[in-house]
Amino acid sequence: MPEDTGTPTPSPEPGEQPRRLRIPVASARADAPQFQIAAGNPRRAERLAASGFVLAAAGFAGFGASYWQNYSNFWLAITLAVGFAGLGYGMVVWAKFLMPRGPFSESRHSVAPTPAQREMFIDDFASRGKVAVERRSLLVKTLGLASGILGVVLAFPLLRSLGPLPGTTLRKTAWRRGAYLVDITGRKIKTDDLEVGGFITVFPPDDIGGAYSQTMLIRVDPPPVSGYLTPPPQFAEQRATWAPQGYIAFSKVCTHAGCPVGLYEELTKKMLCPCHQSLFDVTDAAIPIFGPAPRPLPQLPLYIDEEGYFRAQDGYDEPVGPGYWERGND
Amino acid sequence: MTRPHALWRGLLVSLALVVSASFVGVFLLGGGRDDLSLASSSADVAAASLTSRDSPTDASQLAAGRTLFVENCSTCHGISAEGGDRAPPLLGIGGATVDLWLSSGWMPLAEPSAEPVRKPAKFDRAQVLEIVRYVTSLVPSTGNPGIPFGLDISHADVAEGFSLFALNCAPCHTITGAGDALADGIQAPPLHGVTKTMVWEAIRTGPGNMPRFGPGTLSPAQVVDIVGYVVKNIQHPVSPGGFSLGGVGPVAEGFVGLFVGVGACLLAALWIGDRSEGGQEEDNDGHEDHDGHEDPDGDQDAHHGDDPRELAHA
Amino acid sequence: MIDALFNWLDDRLGISGSGRKMLNKIFPDHWSFLIGEIALYSFIVLLGTGVFLTLYFVPSSKDVIYEGSYAPLRGQPVSEAFASTLNLSFAVRGGLLMRQMHHWAANIFVGSIVVHMLRVFFTGAFRRPRELNWIVGSTLLILAIFNGFLGYSLPDDLVSGTGIRISFSIVESIPLIGSYMAFFLFGGNFPGNSIIPRFFILHVLILPAIMVGLLSAHLGLLVRQKHTQFPGRDNTPRNVVGAPLWPTFVAKTTGFLLLIVAVTAGLSALFQINPVWLYGPYVPYKVSYAVQPDWYMGWLDGALRIMPSWEIVGFGHMIPNVFFPAILLPGITFGVLQLWPFIEARLTHDYADHQILDRPRDRPKRTAFGAAVFSFYFVLFGASATDVLANYLSISLNVVLTSFRFLAIIVPLIVFPVTYRICKEMQAVPTAGQRKRANIVMRSAEGGYTTVPAEERPGDAVPRIVPMPLDEDIEFVPEMAGVLVGSDGTVVGDGGAAGNGGAAGNGGATGDGAPGESSPPAPTGDDRPRGGVFKVPRVYR
Repeated sequence: MPEDTGTPTPSPEPGEQPRRLRIPVASARADAPQFQIAAGNPRRAERLAASGFVLAAAGFAGFGASYWQNYSNFWLAITLAVGFAGLGYGMVVWAKFLMPRGPFSESRHSVAPTPAQREMFIDDFASRGKVAVERRSLLVKTLGLASGILGVVLAFPLLRSLGPLPGTTLRKTAWRRGAYLVDITGRKIKTDDLEVGGFITVFPPDDIGGAYSQTMLIRVDPPPVSGYLTPPPQFAEQRATWAPQGYIAFSKVCTHAGCPVGLYEELTKKMLCPCHQSLFDVTDAAIPIFGPAPRPLPQLPLYIDEEGYFRAQDGYDEPVGPGYWERGND
Repeated sequence: MTRPHALWRGLLVSLALVVSASFVGVFLLGGGRDDLSLASSSADVAAASLTSRDSPTDASQLAAGRTLFVENCSTCHGISAEGGDRAPPLLGIGGATVDLWLSSGWMPLAEPSAEPVRKPAKFDRAQVLEIVRYVTSLVPSTGNPGIPFGLDISHADVAEGFSLFALNCAPCHTITGAGDALADGIQAPPLHGVTKTMVWEAIRTGPGNMPRFGPGTLSPAQVVDIVGYVVKNIQHPVSPGGFSLGGVGPVAEGFVGLFVGVGACLLAALWIGDRSEGGQEEDNDGHEDHDGHEDPDGDQDAHHGDDPRELAHA
Repeated sequence: MIDALFNWLDDRLGISGSGRKMLNKIFPDHWSFLIGEIALYSFIVLLGTGVFLTLYFVPSSKDVIYEGSYAPLRGQPVSEAFASTLNLSFAVRGGLLMRQMHHWAANIFVGSIVVHMLRVFFTGAFRRPRELNWIVGSTLLILAIFNGFLGYSLPDDLVSGTGIRISFSIVESIPLIGSYMAFFLFGGNFPGNSIIPRFFILHVLILPAIMVGLLSAHLGLLVRQKHTQFPGRDNTPRNVVGAPLWPTFVAKTTGFLLLIVAVTAGLSALFQINPVWLYGPYVPYKVSYAVQPDWYMGWLDGALRIMPSWEIVGFGHMIPNVFFPAILLPGITFGVLQLWPFIEARLTHDYADHQILDRPRDRPKRTAFGAAVFSFYFVLFGASATDVLANYLSISLNVVLTSFRFLAIIVPLIVFPVTYRICKEMQAVPTAGQRKRANIVMRSAEGGYTTVPAEERPGDAVPRIVPMPLDEDIEFVPEMAGVLVGSDGTVVGDGGAAGNGGAAGNGGATGDGAPGESSPPAPTGDDRPRGGVFKVPRVYR
């Protein structure tokens, strides 16, 4: 409690806020150093700030004019920028140099309560709450049961209605046995449509433009003596006839993250995926030799029919594109 | 608490740094490079106006071409263009290939072991045509394409060309034609500063690691559409939003957004706010912590903090 | 007139009561405390420009034939989303300006959040009692990054559409539930027709609503717990020193908002961003090269690129390659980020309250650790530009990639000890970073040298003014025979009473410079000299 120093101070009434001495204060504060402005030359500071505002006015007026006249984006934006810059500059100059310079302070009271306050809170909460739940375990348990079931079934519309189950969708593409290879316009591709070192993006006729059935048909070499490009040893049996007359077809969907592998280096005979730079060796069953791709690009088995058109012997023998949990070692 | 001189100097230095950084960044990543194409398109017009074909008609022109060939090409490609250890044969290669490699400056190489790079062509248009005529005269035509004289792109459908470009060309050259690096040191060059003839020839002949797009893959009309798109929209892109930052997209935009954007805002913050009190005479010598307790090793392992109990009012 | 209005409102709302506290609220002045405001105000710009854009953008994947003014796309089938974006850019007056300001503001928004987070980290402002605010802020960072990704994917162009394809693969890669979640999110297999409308509503409604809520919590916690401050003569754990809300802070912060809008508009004038008409519409079988995401996703893209081609296959199931850099890495990153206050408290055994900030040099281990971790993510960010770097530096792409794999490990290992040493050195030099007094070297006639300090330059002499307390339990009077009172109302001049209630006197808050003073101020626990000329009345409670 403060000691008495001779100045009369009235005591508060019970229940009243502690009264304070209320004396007009303007004159006092005007003298305080904290209330002085920081500018050494207030007129100059004011002129600077005012010129900022004037510039802003000009800028905004310019914006209006530019908009009215449908000038280019540059003029719209630069007038706006000048306007806001001038306004902001003036504001900040005003704040820094023509306002009470301070500093000011306030007390930092701890947010944490006293033990007594906390006890009172807990007491209020627990004492009345106790009346509500003590010996009412049946109520609590049945409420829990209902809420639990609500929580579970809420997931049904929130999740399941969003989309279909994947099922086997990811495992197969639209390629079937005997499907023609057609380009994006639907034109069937035949031999000699491609130059040696050329490529074309092809689809099955019933899924033109399909995201998963997109395939790169590449003419790697002139027709080899054996009639087929030689697959690497581990596929020697299985893929012996898959690449007739120097043509080969691989899925265009990268096995890393699904981007189209549209980059073919003609001399080095490699396919490069532009997203994360996985490099696939076309002469080696598109096995990735560089970059993050973990698996080779699936190969589409080809044959050339009697009219010279390219057709698929079968669909892809594994899921195309990036991996997923159920893919296993398909 | 203002220190005008220190503040302004610091601000000026930082401003200069940010401005230089952005200038260098923008300089390196480039704006559009449109001038070259304008210059070359006039040469292109000159080429298109020539009526001569690949087949030799004038013995004197052949002799001029032969001289140029012997002096500049035969060292590597052989005296009769039969090839050698260092260079492939040029017999039957077609006029388009020869024209492209000479016009782009890939050939002649700066030195025998160098990689072909775009550089100003060593020969003028007439000389290139002389060399082409000479080389194509050595064997009968093999079906490889010749120079597309009179290539008319005035009716090119740029919308079709854009669609075909996106499918076939963008994966290597980028959708804006800025060019990019492939694997093993190969580069897909930028498509700025090239003539319509060069674009046509590149598509049909597939130079280097570029794949080859023959008539069975892209019809003549489709090639004209692509050439039209490249010459018109790749080389003169519609950029109403400001500097195009080299056309490499988010890489350059992020650079600018962070250094110029956030940088400018930080400079504004430096101006508006105060500096630390570090410059004033300190009562302590920097080793005391805030409560006035000594902490000589400066590590401030203050296990005591501000006890909340102490702060509470009675 | 204004008086009448104010009185009318005051009678009904009682502003004068609680409002006085707001008027006098103190904001510490240090410039680094303004970085959070950069984020806040660029968010305001995003909201403003975003509202404009929503009035024109059509969030539909339905194909239409573009018939607008951009010739290379006329007659081509594009999605309505893409067509409406072109319409905004070319046909709506001011539309391109709004699009560019929106996108530049987004880049500045995420960038300033990161810088703000670094400031908070390196100064230890996340320690008790502010752990909750750190968690709110980290969540805001995650949401800002994600919302940015959603936003630039909305135009459905070739470059951002490739990013959507990659995101499908990433979701798909989650073990057990990945393919289900991907199909649920996209309404079926990729590409489907649902993803653009769903991204739209997430981007303009759901995420901004959550962010506004979290932002309010962030600011509310700040108001409740008060801002931290750097160590200084008048800064104690029991006060806040700075500028009051009215009028100084209001003016400064408004000026700052205006300047940030100006920066955004300036960028939109000079630098083109996201020219989707040059990219064309997204088509699943087309792709471009140099397809980096926006910079704040760069660390993820870089991680995807430099990750070795490992994949776990067994027992009929697979954990795909992209799971590790795209799910596991961000999961660990954001998990550790959110929990950092608790991790550091456990490591340093420091569970106490902290209201005063650390200078980064004073906590060398934390600073070095933070710098090293940041440098790791910076390397990942750089790795997203492998192809562009290979092109501009004329280095083989293979070499660039392998280099980044090494750098990702080596750079943090180097940054840590170097930063540690720098901190230690700066600690040893207490005046490091401060402007020094010049020395004048004078040579005598005999050839000997002496140095004398130069005179103080104008900027060196900083007037010392003690903070004036604005606590609501203090009123000022013009003149009173000097009695010194602490901010909590106890009389300091009597000595001993300083311990009353435990709240020590505010440093330098009171002064006794006037003549005729009855007694000098009693020590309150520290010996700091006091200044100032005003007096306060004795106040009792």
